[in-house]
Amino acid sequence: MSSSHLIAVFDDETGLVKAVEEIRGKDLQIEEVFTPYPIHEVLHAMGNKSKIQIFAYFYGLFGAVAVLAFLYYTSVLDWPINYGGKPFNSFPSFIIITIILTIFIVTILSLATFSGRAKLWPGKQHKMYDKRATDDKFVIVVSKENTDPGELGTIQGILKANGAVEIREEEA
Amino acid sequence: MYNRELRGPLIIGEKSYHQISTDILAPTETKPGKWWFAMMTIATLASIWGVYSIYVTVTKGIGTWGVNNTVGWGWAIINFVWWIGIGHAGTAFSIFLLILRQKWRTSINRAAEAMTVFAVGCAALFPALHMGRIWLFYFIFPYPNTRGPLWVNFNSPLFWDFIAISAYLLISFSFWYLGMLPDFATIRDRTTSKVRKALYGFFSMGWVGSSRQWLRFESLAFILGGIAAVLVVSVHSIVSTDFAVSVEPGWHTTLFPPYFVVGAIFSGFAMVMTLMIIIRKLYKLGDYVTDGHLDAIARILTFISLIMGTAYLTEVFMAWYSGSEYEIFTFFRNRITGEYALQFWGMIICNALIPQLFWFKKIRSSLLMMFIISLFINLGMWFERFNIVITSLSKDYLPSAWTTYTPTWVEVGTYVGTIGLFLAGVLMFFRYIPMIAVSEVKTVRDIGKRKYD
Repeated sequence: MSSSHLIAVFDDETGLVKAVEEIRGKDLQIEEVFTPYPIHEVLHAMGNKSKIQIFAYFYGLFGAVAVLAFLYYTSVLDWPINYGGKPFNSFPSFIIITIILTIFIVTILSLATFSGRAKLWPGKQHKMYDKRATDDKFVIVVSKENTDPGELGTIQGILKANGAVEIREEEA
Repeated sequence: MYNRELRGPLIIGEKSYHQISTDILAPTETKPGKWWFAMMTIATLASIWGVYSIYVTVTKGIGTWGVNNTVGWGWAIINFVWWIGIGHAGTAFSIFLLILRQKWRTSINRAAEAMTVFAVGCAALFPALHMGRIWLFYFIFPYPNTRGPLWVNFNSPLFWDFIAISAYLLISFSFWYLGMLPDFATIRDRTTSKVRKALYGFFSMGWVGSSRQWLRFESLAFILGGIAAVLVVSVHSIVSTDFAVSVEPGWHTTLFPPYFVVGAIFSGFAMVMTLMIIIRKLYKLGDYVTDGHLDAIARILTFISLIMGTAYLTEVFMAWYSGSEYEIFTFFRNRITGEYALQFWGMIICNALIPQLFWFKKIRSSLLMMFIISLFINLGMWFERFNIVITSLSKDYLPSAWTTYTPTWVEVGTYVGTIGLFLAGVLMFFRYIPMIAVSEVKTVRDIGKRKYD
């Protein structure tokens, strides 16, 4: 992360969404947008895609196969026990455990993936550009170092035109 | 959206985002009222009785309970099923409504999920105690051991139960906690106290509300929601197989899984209603928990009550239609009439009849009536489990083995203790955790207010 930033604060969602869409429409870079609640237009305009769903699918696949294999190993190969003449590989009744444990595995692995990808874990040190972004303000942060001065001017113009209540620069 | 106009605004009044944060976080930032301390004292006393009962059970054994050879499952299993049922609402509520994108869930889901976590925790206590030697609890884990390795019976519903409840507890807690991350960050960023800043800062895990975090937050919420929806249906179905796969009269029926799941959601929603009325009245959050919310819950309860009534009738009809003398005896001589008739009719009246009062708009808009009916439903659901567990066991195929069952003070104490623990948990939740999801409520602030644009 660069250390010199342009920070624009908005009072409401509408102006922020317009500003983000305009800036991104001109193919300019926004470092990050901070909002008190998820705004889908912003998530869309920022162009990031979450792969957690794809990961979760494979976790589920892995979980289901692993659990069934485990059940087969313990009940058929390792120590078969005759329960009232039922087959050792009593597949239909294994399905219940498979479903539940698959859910268990998907949950744990997805949580771990989320923690890693969203960079959230207990006691993590974080940087807030504007503390009010978790309350009632909508904040756009643009890196000054990665943007050339001419483009920075355009961005500032867009921010002002869309009703940013505060535009300030921060060196850190 | 046309359907939003029908329900009216989800939040009453013109509020700024800052006002929403302030309103909802107020209970966590101010000292609680006298009623809170009074309730906490009651909860603590009840918990102490519970802990002492558990101590007696563990040190002296299951012999201190009223269960016997014939009635091997007593209050412990009744209360286990009762608590698990209550624990179903949180997830049913927030997850089904999340998947269906019903926006009115936002004011209620946090409290419902909190209730779920506490209720499932209370429920898990009972089977663990019923094992008798709780210090050998770990035998139920299928781990490579020095006894063979001898594995657990993977075909046993009791083992499925163990897995289902563990998974349910984990996923309900994760889902609940995930939703709290942004709110903890809000508290962290607005507090002036250093202790609170450090504590909530720790638990907010470095949440900053960036678009990258929100993106993954929403993805994860949908994954957890999607798979937990499967759990809601399967956990109580599995609990019902504890009964249904046995050959007891009155238990051995394919009706059980749907009947249990619906019953669970019924009791859970009733408990959600009880809690939401408390939140609304005592914390003056009427702008967020509106008449519309309670009305919606009441309508759902009316509908589920009809399903419950149908299930009860179906059971009785099938007992008669089957022509099996044992089934007929259980239903007609040991439930509808006989020494357990009180519990049977209590169940019918509380679950199938009283909630039908919700057809009247007057009753749906009276907080007091809704509060009373919601309590009746949970009483009725307790009767239902008593009815299932005790009547079938006490008189089955062999008349020489017939016996009655009365709980001892240890069993009663354990039950009262779990109610105390649950109450204490809910009170702590009211005090330290935002009881309405602040960030989610902000997304629905304007719904139902703008006209024709």
